[in-house]
Order: sequence, then structure tokens, then C-alpha cells
Amino acid sequence: MEAPFSHKQTILIVDDSAMNRALLADMIGDDYEILEAENGLQGIAQMQALGTGISLVLLDIVMPEMDGFDVLAVMNKNEWIKDIPVIMVSSESASSYIERAYELGVTDFISRPFDANIVRRRVVNTLMLYAKQKALIGMVADQIYEREKGNSLMVAILSHIVEFRNGESGLHVLHVGAMTELLLNHVIEKTDRYNLTPADVSLISMASSLHDIGKISIPDEVLNKPGRLTDEEFDLMKQHTVIGSEMLDDLPMYRDEPLVQTAYEICRWHHERYDGRGYPDGLAGEDIPIAAQVVALADVYDALTSKRVYKDAYSHDKAIEMILNGECGAFNPFLLECLTDIANDVQAELHVASFSNHTDHEIRKIVDKVVRPDAASSRTLELLDYERMKYRFFASMSNEVQYEYTVDPPMLAVSDWGASGLDLDEIIMDPLNDAHLREAFGEDTITMLREALHATTPDEPVIEFDIEATVNGQLRWFHVTSRAIWTDDEVPQYHGSIGKMVDIHESHERLMELQYKATHDSLTGLMNHPSARQAVTDRMAMNPEDNFVFMVIDLDLFKQANDTRGHQFGDEVLRHLARRLLASVRDRDVVARVGGDEFFICMECQVDPEPLVERVYRSIIGEYEGFPLSVSIGVACTQGDEHSYDEMFRKADAALYDMKRGGRGGYLLSDLSAQDEGKTALSAIDGGQSEEKE
Amino acid sequence: MTLEECYAAMDGDLEGVRGRLLTDDRIRKFTGIFLQDKSFENLGASLDEGNLAEAFRAAHTMKGISRDLGFIPLYEVSSALADALRPDDAGVPAAMDQVPDLYRATQEAYQRVVDALALL
Repeated sequence: MEAPFSHKQTILIVDDSAMNRALLADMIGDDYEILEAENGLQGIAQMQALGTGISLVLLDIVMPEMDGFDVLAVMNKNEWIKDIPVIMVSSESASSYIERAYELGVTDFISRPFDANIVRRRVVNTLMLYAKQKALIGMVADQIYEREKGNSLMVAILSHIVEFRNGESGLHVLHVGAMTELLLNHVIEKTDRYNLTPADVSLISMASSLHDIGKISIPDEVLNKPGRLTDEEFDLMKQHTVIGSEMLDDLPMYRDEPLVQTAYEICRWHHERYDGRGYPDGLAGEDIPIAAQVVALADVYDALTSKRVYKDAYSHDKAIEMILNGECGAFNPFLLECLTDIANDVQAELHVASFSNHTDHEIRKIVDKVVRPDAASSRTLELLDYERMKYRFFASMSNEVQYEYTVDPPMLAVSDWGASGLDLDEIIMDPLNDAHLREAFGEDTITMLREALHATTPDEPVIEFDIEATVNGQLRWFHVTSRAIWTDDEVPQYHGSIGKMVDIHESHERLMELQYKATHDSLTGLMNHPSARQAVTDRMAMNPEDNFVFMVIDLDLFKQANDTRGHQFGDEVLRHLARRLLASVRDRDVVARVGGDEFFICMECQVDPEPLVERVYRSIIGEYEGFPLSVSIGVACTQGDEHSYDEMFRKADAALYDMKRGGRGGYLLSDLSAQDEGKTALSAIDGGQSEEKE
Repeated sequence: MTLEECYAAMDGDLEGVRGRLLTDDRIRKFTGIFLQDKSFENLGASLDEGNLAEAFRAAHTMKGISRDLGFIPLYEVSSALADALRPDDAGVPAAMDQVPDLYRATQEAYQRVVDALALL
């Protein structure tokens, strides 16, 4: 069931009766691509996989596994229902069923018995309705965009004219707008007492640009006077608030527009003070509309931090300090609190505010807000479908198992070839509690992967592990690469993960085998010398407190075995001895073949090493198929001090040499304290086969 | 045997079916598929096992497809059977005491349809 990428629209029929599916498919005809699912779970899987690649779903109610209402619930939860229309098909005619189906968002209802004309008509109607709706949403988005662009442009021109006359840079309105938005967004976060919506915030920010339009009627000599204004001039200046608001109020056709009304409030009251001592109307407290309060604060801040004909620019910190100290007017304490909260953001934001991107950015945001869910054009959706198909195709060729996991709803979707390879269902609801999944991967592995994914960050969301999983009763190795999905929110939320599993069993086995070969002697299966050295060095480093006995063991008269009974027999003797050595020690002790007929044992030893050596010696001597097994052992033991592997091995080897020089068959302990004199401290001798003593 | 004779033999509603399925070819095709449908066997097996949820679904499917194909007597009894088996919120069938009789009647009606279709 590959994603169909044809010009035919795809219809998914979810019904447990094969006969029903066949009948509906037959009635719908060949103009559509038909997909079938025999229960709700399979239906959800198809939707998960194809998304809006499915143009319409025909859904039965009474089904095993997951019934039609459950399917609708999942579609609602994932908001698929907005993009994929559903027609309910059922022999249930009870009105409660139908009502519930409509409540869950189905577009239409086809009741039994199926009538070919009705089925066809409903399908076509629904598809057309949705296509039309999509096109309309696109058109509305375009219109809003154009209208907002027009609005914004006019506002920008108008406010720029005022500033131009005012001798200010055009940045003032931008700064006031940006800061107004910052403040209002923070206000919304902290309280809902002002009943502000995000749309209001956009509107007020835009309208803030018009706060000084009244200045257009103020004479130049007053407006741009470098020195202090006289009382008379100041009274004239104050008039810009009233004049601005009247200009807006006089707009015959647009005075009821929200933008104009908001701008009116701002123009008229952006010089009011919270303590009632402002102008022109002396409003106090919350009688001043919140829009005007916020713009007033933004206006004062930007005036302080900008250079004017009559003053230099203050620093950001100084400006904030002056405002909070009440040196520049009386403000709503709550707004001052907000200003304190966002002071750092203000500085950063205003720094980047510039003309070039401002308007467009604003408009896009508004358009996005209004029509976000369906803003993607059909071209985008087409490309998305194409990408999805391409991806599935390549994935199926690479023999990977892919999965997608969402936390809410808890659902695991496994690619179809992967599901069959792993012997899993394609869709697993509540996978963390799924017995089958836990059996396949083991609870520890699932927990480990889950914790590793949760521990990732949006910047580094990828984890890789080799894990073992049971497939068809067999343990196999897989390489897992997973990427955690984090949301874009300020505090990113863990949303789930996507990933792939590659069966690396064969190569893993090969690797293990090579590793084994590289570290072991092929004849006896014992460790070789380099790996024994590594193992002992590690052991000594891990347990620096412990004492270790080193034994270098030489098989006496081995040359005779080769010479008199052939090399094959010689090999058998060596293998036999290796088995005896292994049997004489504990599992965790290191036993290695370090030369032709030389062996090596290293054991931890807390007490007097001699009984240990004695035991090993006793257990390996004897005979093998008529050949006398006589061995010489050189022994060295670390005695509390720190010694390197090489040093200890050399001492044991030297003791062996002494032992052999003095005869064969027995063991000799090197006396460490005697340093390099090496010999001496002969502690035990045993006759064994040769009865030789020193 | 013609479609007319076949439907007459089981008291079916051929006119209604022709109105909905539009062509005789389609009617013949789906009466053929009906014979392969496992709902009836499924119904019997589920009742034997005491799997009442599955039995309800099977009766429900029978009811739907027999209605589509205008097998009126089968539709009526399977519909009554589905109603008797319909589970309430606790999963208890609506009228378990009627189920044995209704199942026998469904069995007879089904056999009648199968016999009639065999002659087609």
C-alpha cells in the first residue's frame, strides 16, 4: 500500500466486512484510488502514514479492535478531522449514533441499504466541498494579507509624515510599536483582567503608530522649538491629543473600524497620567484605556532613549530607572512591574527594529494568526506528499525498520516492512504498556531508550545505540538511531521520537568473532598474551588494594612429545593442559597461552599464595595418554605494593628460569623483597613425575 | 434461473436492489460475494463460544449486507437478532432469551437465500 502519487484522489474505506468494502468500492468507481482497512486500528495506521494523501474516509461504526467512534476520537485528537473529511457508513440508524457521529466531526452519513447513486453523489459532494473550502481559505488568506498590507502601509506613511515634520527619525513609531507589543504580550501572560486577545495586541501595536498624528496641526516653531516651551506654547502642544483623536473621529466611513477606534483612544489619552494629572481629560487609573496606558509608557521610554533637539539620549538603564522613580509621569504600577520584567527584552528588541522588515513581518503574523491551520498551499501539500512518497520508497529499499512515536496520543507506528520483519503490529497504541513490544525488546531496553530520548535537547536530539531484540523467538542485534521531537515552544516539550532500526546481527556477530580471534589462541581457546596483559592490567587498576599471583607455567619435556609422537599429539597435549588449567582456577581468573609450551595464570589472592599455587600445581600434573605431564612454575605475588604487570611477569618468568635451571617439575616463588636477585625463597618442591628437587 | 425467479424464491426485493445497485451485473457479482462472506459461520461459531460481542458484530454485518442485496426475510430476522444481541454499556446483550429462537430463524432464512442463489 504505497502512498499513491497519482492525480486520482484517494479514498480510504474502513469497514470490517470485506463485502461492504467491495460494494462501496464498486459503487464509488474507478475515478478514485481506493484503500481498505478492516478495522479502526488499520485505518488510523493508513491516516498516520498518508496524512492528507487521503482525500476522504468512509467509516463504519461497529468494528472489532477499534470502532468508528474511537477512530473519530483519534482523528479529533490529532486534528486530522479538519483536513480529512469523514463519511459515516453504517446500518446503525439510531439517531443517537448519528448525532454522536456528527458531533465528532463527520461530514455526512450514508445509511443502509447502500444506493449506488447516493454513495457516489455523497462522495463527490464531500470532496468538492472540501476542495472548495480549501480554495476559499486560501483566498481569504490572500485578501486578509492584502488588506492588512494596505492598512499597515497607510499607517506607516501617515505616521512617517508626522515624524518627518517633527524632525524625528522614522524609528520612533517603530520603537513605540515594538515596545507596545512586548508590553502587551507580557500583560497577557500575567493577567487576563484586561480581556486582551492576541488579535487586540496586534491591533493596538499597529494603532500605536498613529499616537502623534495630531502634531500635524501644530505650528513648526512650536513643534521644533529647541528650548523650553512657554505655558502658552505648551497648551498649544497639548492640543495634539485632541486634534489627533478628532481627525479620526471625523473619518465618515471608517469611524467604527476597530483600528480607528483603538487609534482614537491612543491619540486622545496617551498623555493622561495614572494619578489623574495628565491631559487632555484628566482621566485617572483604569479609566484610561489600557491601549493608551501602554503606548504612553512606550512613548516615554523611547523619547528618553532618543536624541531630541532639546536633549541627549539617555541609556537604557538610566531611562528605566527614571521611569520607575516616577520622574517622567505617573504610570500604572502593574505596567511598571511588566516593564521591569521585560526590560532586557526591550533593549534587545528595539535594537533590531528597523523599517525594512517591520511591516511585512507584522502582516505575515496577522495572516498567520487568522488562517494558520490551513495556510499551507495546495502546492506545498503536493510537495509534501511527493517527499513522503520518496522517503518511503528509499526507506523500503534500505531494509530499515522505521518508526514514529508520539507521546500524546501514545502511539507507535512502525513501517509496514519493518512490522513484518520485527513481527509487530504496524500501529501500537499505548506502546509502553504493550506486552508484545516489551517481550520483543525487553523492559530494560525500552526504559533505557526512553530515558535517553528524554535526556536529549532540541539542539542535540539524536541518540544511537546497539540493542538486542527478539524476532520470531530469536535474539538479534539492531543498531538504533532515534531523534527526539521537541516542540518549538519557549520551554520545549517532548513530543515523541522518530527513528530507524537496522539489523546488524550478522555484522555484529562477525565483529564479535573477529574480536574473539584477535584476543584468543586458536589452538587452545585460551587468551593470548596481549589480551591477558590487558585483562590483568585492567583488573589491577580496578582493584589496587588486592594482591595478585602471577604464575608462568612451562610444560617440561614438551619437545619429546612432538618428537616421539608427532605434532598432532603435541597439540592434543597442549589442549589437554589448557583444559586442566582452566579447571584448576576460578572463572574470573586469567588463563593464557603465552608461548609454544608456556602458559600463564593470574589470580587474585588475599592470603598466603602458596596453597593456591600448590593446588594449581597438583591439579595439572599427571599424565596424558602415557605422556607424563610435568610442569615447572615460576610464581610472583604482589605484596601490598604497587607493581606493574610487566614487572610481575618478568619476576615470575625469572623464577621459572631458576626453577628449570635447578631441575624440573615444581614451582618456585620469587621473593620480591629480594629484588633482582630473583632466585632464592624456594618454598616448595614437588616430585611429580620427575622427583627433582632443588 | 433468472434473477427474478431467484429473488422470488426467497421473497427478496429485486426491484429495490435494481434501484440501488443499478445493474444486474453488479447484483450478480455481489450475490456471488455474499456466498463467500463468512459472517454467518462467524455468527454460529461466536454463539457456540459464548463470544457475544463478536456474535453481535456478525449479526450486524449480516443485517447490513442482506439489506443491501434485498434479501428481505434474512434482513428482518438478522436485524432482530442483532438487536437482541446488542450490548449495553456493561456489555450485556439486550435480550439474550430471544437469541436461540432468532438464531434458528436466521439460520433458516440464510439457508433459503443460499438455496435460491445456488440456482442462479
